[in-house]
Amino acid sequence: MPASVELRNVRKSYGAAEIIKGVSLRVAPGEFVVLVGPSGCGKSTLLRMIAGLEAISAGELRFDDVVVNDWDPARRRVGMVFQSYALYPHMTVEQNVGFALKLAKIPATERAARVDSALGVLQLTQLRHHKPSQLSGGQRQRVAIGRAIVRNPNVFLFDEPLSNLDATLRGQMRMEIARLHQRLMNTVIYVTHDQVEAMTLADRIVVLEDGVVRQIGTPMELYDAPANLFVASFIGTPTMGLFDARVTAQGLAIGTGDTETVRLPAHCAAVPAGTDLTLGIRPEHCTVSPVEGASLRGTIVMLERLGADTFAFLEVPGARDLVPVRLSAQTDGVVTGQKVGLEFDVGKAHVFDQTGMALPR
Amino acid sequence: MNRDRRITPLVFGAPALIGLAVFLVLPFLMALVLTFTDQRLVSPQPGAFVGLRNYQRLLSVGALVQSPERDRDTAYVRVRAVTRSDPAWRGYRPLGDFRIGARRVTILAKDPPFLRALGNTFAFAMMVVPLQCALALGLALLVNAGIRGETVFRAIYFSPVVMSMVIVSVVWAFLFDRDLGLLNQTLGAISFGVVRPVDWLGNPATAMPAIAIMSAWQGAGFQMLILLAGLQGISQELYDAARIDGASVWQRFVHITLPGLRQTIVFVLIVTTIAALGLFTQVDVMTGGGPRGATATVMFEAVRHGVREGDIAYGATISVVYFALITGLIVLQQWLMRSRARVAG
Amino acid sequence: MTPAAYKSIPLRLALYALMAVFGVVFLLPFLFMLSSSLKTNDGIFADFASIRAVLPVGALTGENYLHAFARGNIGHYLANSLLITGVTVLMGMVVNSLAAFALARLEWRGKQTALTLLVIALVVPFEAISVPLMILVAKLPGVALGADGLTMTRSWLDTLYVQIVPFVANAFSIFLFYQFFRDIPKDFDEAAYIDGATPLQVYRHVIVPSSLPVFATVAILQSLTMWNQYLWPLITVPGEAARPLMIGMEQFFGARKTAWGEVMAYASLITVPVLIAFIVLQRWFVRSVVGSGVKG
Repeated sequence: MPASVELRNVRKSYGAAEIIKGVSLRVAPGEFVVLVGPSGCGKSTLLRMIAGLEAISAGELRFDDVVVNDWDPARRRVGMVFQSYALYPHMTVEQNVGFALKLAKIPATERAARVDSALGVLQLTQLRHHKPSQLSGGQRQRVAIGRAIVRNPNVFLFDEPLSNLDATLRGQMRMEIARLHQRLMNTVIYVTHDQVEAMTLADRIVVLEDGVVRQIGTPMELYDAPANLFVASFIGTPTMGLFDARVTAQGLAIGTGDTETVRLPAHCAAVPAGTDLTLGIRPEHCTVSPVEGASLRGTIVMLERLGADTFAFLEVPGARDLVPVRLSAQTDGVVTGQKVGLEFDVGKAHVFDQTGMALPR
Repeated sequence: MNRDRRITPLVFGAPALIGLAVFLVLPFLMALVLTFTDQRLVSPQPGAFVGLRNYQRLLSVGALVQSPERDRDTAYVRVRAVTRSDPAWRGYRPLGDFRIGARRVTILAKDPPFLRALGNTFAFAMMVVPLQCALALGLALLVNAGIRGETVFRAIYFSPVVMSMVIVSVVWAFLFDRDLGLLNQTLGAISFGVVRPVDWLGNPATAMPAIAIMSAWQGAGFQMLILLAGLQGISQELYDAARIDGASVWQRFVHITLPGLRQTIVFVLIVTTIAALGLFTQVDVMTGGGPRGATATVMFEAVRHGVREGDIAYGATISVVYFALITGLIVLQQWLMRSRARVAG
Repeated sequence: MTPAAYKSIPLRLALYALMAVFGVVFLLPFLFMLSSSLKTNDGIFADFASIRAVLPVGALTGENYLHAFARGNIGHYLANSLLITGVTVLMGMVVNSLAAFALARLEWRGKQTALTLLVIALVVPFEAISVPLMILVAKLPGVALGADGLTMTRSWLDTLYVQIVPFVANAFSIFLFYQFFRDIPKDFDEAAYIDGATPLQVYRHVIVPSSLPVFATVAILQSLTMWNQYLWPLITVPGEAARPLMIGMEQFFGARKTAWGEVMAYASLITVPVLIAFIVLQRWFVRSVVGSGVKG
């Protein structure tokens, strides 16, 4: 039965070092929540605390409103898929999937039925007598999922399950996981460092940095309305282009020294002149234009042709890094080294204050 | 350059390969030839060819079944009378006897001390191998449990290994002393005097077990390190997955630790067994093969005959038989490890 | 196993206690040896029935050590053992690593045969050929340094070099070197050859500098083996001149079985330096053992 999962101000310390600094989160039954963030942000630790593999230093963890802090993993009835699958090497696929049931002393007939059902769902029936060493990466992962499914767990936990697969396989397995979720309607907490996986799989995403939650929201909420610079830079490929800016009487001055000025975005209206800000704009909201009369000017340093899309990376004075611009059919004829103008839709711009927080629209 | 390329490897490898050939292969071949002669160590004459006589003397074993004398059921013809008169039993001496019903079966051999030594050697191996390997596994599990200070404990458990077996034998000879030895003192203290002092090295029944206990003490640390390395090679994630699946500590040990250690354990068992079969130093230092041949081993007999008594042909024979025994064990190990490897994929 | 941090306090205490008990069992013989070496025979007999047997208490004296030196000729045997061990290990490192280099890095006819022979040589335990080897060296013409210079002798027995030469070439050392060399990327060799190096130079400048761990491992394992040799010197060195330390110990023990204190002093003199070396080089020891076992 899918359960709700709630974390209330959960903290984790190893000795003097605090790894998880007060995380609160509520996952509804059947919801697919993805924990995402850079290496070292604590997402795996958080997952292991939910699983019961690590102790919770402070705060509460609840399954269906029952505090489970002190419950050991088996009692919590969680299913976990590890990054390296952790399949028992000396057992066959069938035995791997049925192991937990055997430990729980489920009678053999019921055990066989549940194992058969899990194998069927994952199309592993043909491979039931194989050992893990004889399987491919994708097959092993399915066995790992099968082992989790067969116990009808409260919560499914995935710890970076696709990291060990090549790009094509990753895409396929992503879809299988999504389809499986639609079919089983289970509660899933999924950890990854890959924001593409997060965007495609999640009902809601939790962005973590250094043990702190930066934002929780649906994929599109995070994309369209990032709450801070970190989330804005983390979500979206290529990353958002960022400019150092200052509010002036004329508008928003981009860069320092010899600057250009653009129209002041609507949500900066109340900001006093002289304030330093960061301006962010997504590649699809930028266009390349002739140099004459453009708001900003830059040089094309790199072109990435991805087939359906082409991105130009511009060096622009006042920008923090190369600014990506999605090229349309009209502007596709540009070459590297070319000096171009940069236009963007001010209404779609994101503005962040000096602490990195986004100014609301 | 080309000529260089052909000669260089030979030049590099020559000292070692010649060394191995002269000091490993040659003695063995020489020994093989020697076993068919009656050469002695300090004899000016070369040995005469005697065929398989040395092997016969070493390995001949037979059983003499006797029924009681007609009128007296408890008396049998004296064995010595049989061996003196019956040409088939020439040169045989009794090794031991037992009764089946009314009949007496006497085991006779041409070299009873050797067969006894062979039995002692196997007995020793059967005592020391489980003891030492179980101890090593236990220590490895303890050290691996992640308690702080494990490096110190690991060093303590390993320290006997760096001590020479001669030193260990000398010190333990005192520990085993019947009247003053620490072992008897401790046993007496723990049992409040119930356990009487044991003459460990003087009693044929306890001499070999005593040596086994001491040898296990000395060697466990070595195997412990090897098992420890094997333990650390088992992925932590397997244990996590088992915890999630609901396995208890014991179940995790049985289903994860033991299978993961299988290759290592087989290796440790075989290595310990081969070393056990070569038992010599402890016996030579502590008991000299006694009491009454209870601690003589194959190697001890080889040195006794070949060196101390100068019968090098016979000593070589024992060495060859010993070599065959070890080779058989190695083949067994290879077969075991290979079939495991096939299963593991 | 699960990291310690996850275990409850009582469980941790229980494990600690267990480890301590084993620790005591393993240390007891050492303590007995050291304590007894500092007591007179009367002291030892007085203390034997209690915990005092393993503690250096009571009237302590250093006379056992003096007697051991005087009566036991330790200095001479120690020098012999040092010489034997040092020369064998040093020569062995050169000879065996060169052979392993030839096997691992060079192509030559007969390499496969040599490798097979190496594997066979690995499994032969020394005891099996010790007596035949003794017979061989007993008949080999040798040399002796005497008053009139170098003279020929009829056999190798009763010399220092009979304890050295047969052990320089060592199959296990070659094996360890071979396994290690195989893991060094061939790119380094090839770069050196392109720069015009000869195989010997590749050995000296590429392989050896990258192989310090295995040299340490081989040095430690071989040193231990040579230092603790007993069977071989027993059967090949009856005399005193070339006698090594272990035989000296056994002789001393046999001759003065009732002089407990002195025997323990002799034993301590031999053991304590090795123990100190072990404590200092502990990590290397562990690595050596693991390296030799894991590859098995």
